[in-house]
Amino acid sequence: MKLQVVRARAERFGGIVELERPRALLHVDREMMRALGQPESDLWNGPEEGPLSAPREVHVVLSRKCAAGCKGCYVSATPDGAALSYDEACRILDELATMGVFHVALGGGEALELDYLFAVAAHARKVGITPNLTTSGLGLDERAAARCAVFGQINVSVDGVGKAYQEARGFDGFRHAEKALRLLRAVKPEVGVNCVVSRSSFQHLGEVARLVKSLDLNELELLRFKPVGRGASLAEELTLAQSKRIYPLARWLMLRHRVRVKLDCSFAPMVFFHKPSARAAAFFGVQGCVGGDVLAAVSPEGALMGCSFAGRAEADARVPGAMQQAWSKGFGEFRDFVKTAPAPCASCDYLQLCRGGCRAVAQAHGPFMSPDPGCPTVQAHQQRRSLPVVRALEA
Amino acid sequence: MRLRRGRVLQATFGCNPNSSSLGVDVTFLLFGATFASALAIVLGALLRKAPR
Repeated sequence: MKLQVVRARAERFGGIVELERPRALLHVDREMMRALGQPESDLWNGPEEGPLSAPREVHVVLSRKCAAGCKGCYVSATPDGAALSYDEACRILDELATMGVFHVALGGGEALELDYLFAVAAHARKVGITPNLTTSGLGLDERAAARCAVFGQINVSVDGVGKAYQEARGFDGFRHAEKALRLLRAVKPEVGVNCVVSRSSFQHLGEVARLVKSLDLNELELLRFKPVGRGASLAEELTLAQSKRIYPLARWLMLRHRVRVKLDCSFAPMVFFHKPSARAAAFFGVQGCVGGDVLAAVSPEGALMGCSFAGRAEADARVPGAMQQAWSKGFGEFRDFVKTAPAPCASCDYLQLCRGGCRAVAQAHGPFMSPDPGCPTVQAHQQRRSLPVVRALEA
Repeated sequence: MRLRRGRVLQATFGCNPNSSSLGVDVTFLLFGATFASALAIVLGALLRKAPR
């Protein structure tokens, strides 16, 4: 087996190497970069620690346009929502390519409603970035599916099977999503399902995993429900018992249905609660909030943020050079959490990996820099503090 | 003296299409640190043989 390095980028610790087969991003040390014949970098003269020189992946929220009107939509999309123009999107991709970004995740809103989506994806390929897509699949026909070959990975949002889909999203769209999955799978193997795990949809995850297996899809990505956008008005956050169960359940679904299961970064506290090998987690990139470091987002209004769920606008991505300038100085609210972590995160063995869980969920309940209130360890800590005897002892 | 030959520090497989957060693969966590160390060695060896 021979590996082919597609691209490489220098970092303080060494560099990031992109492989085509298997499709992977490898972090390697300085010696390996030299062994690969990469040129010496000024970054290698300083300490190895620090944020990345550019995000590895950027989520470009192309629009807030979507006709579906899902009741939990995190960008509050409407049929007339704002959108980046084709020219703006291409210019942003040009700058991201200059920065050395490897992947973009294109989404919305419903990105397929934009008649220039495929042109934007083709432009990303042209400048050396792999475009990926999330879609509801509504309205996708055979012709559009064929054009989706331009993307790396495509995931269709399926928050439940049959009636469970309607309960989760507020409209009957399951058969459209299933049809889209079949059409896309006929075109390429890198097709999967995104499933938002909420208090209500939790019990139906087995059916979704079965669907992924039956359609021969390559992954099931479980996304934690976050109370932002229209979702802020819903009481759908996981219960404590569900939060404790999600990681064992993900492993069980993987073994039972033999499908690849991924958890989004906001589930990190629920994973680390079960004390997995920290070395394995670090090696396989299992981390909590990596906003403003590994990850960044661009909103349909052009705002560069640490994450598409949370954080302030650090720059107007539509202004040439603004993203590059903001990257080196900004994003302190994301990057400084580990240094300033409050209890109980400060004493947690997994702080360096978990990084306090999800900032978007924390912000929805209180200060941006507070620990993720959905973390079982944080909940136990808060419960102890609320007991008068414990409070008296602590005093 | 043994020459340092370079190491693979982290490996993430596939692409993340999710436009809202980073997907992390928990599959490999099942196999633990020994598997991670072995994979790092194998990937390192293959990488050094990669055409430049």
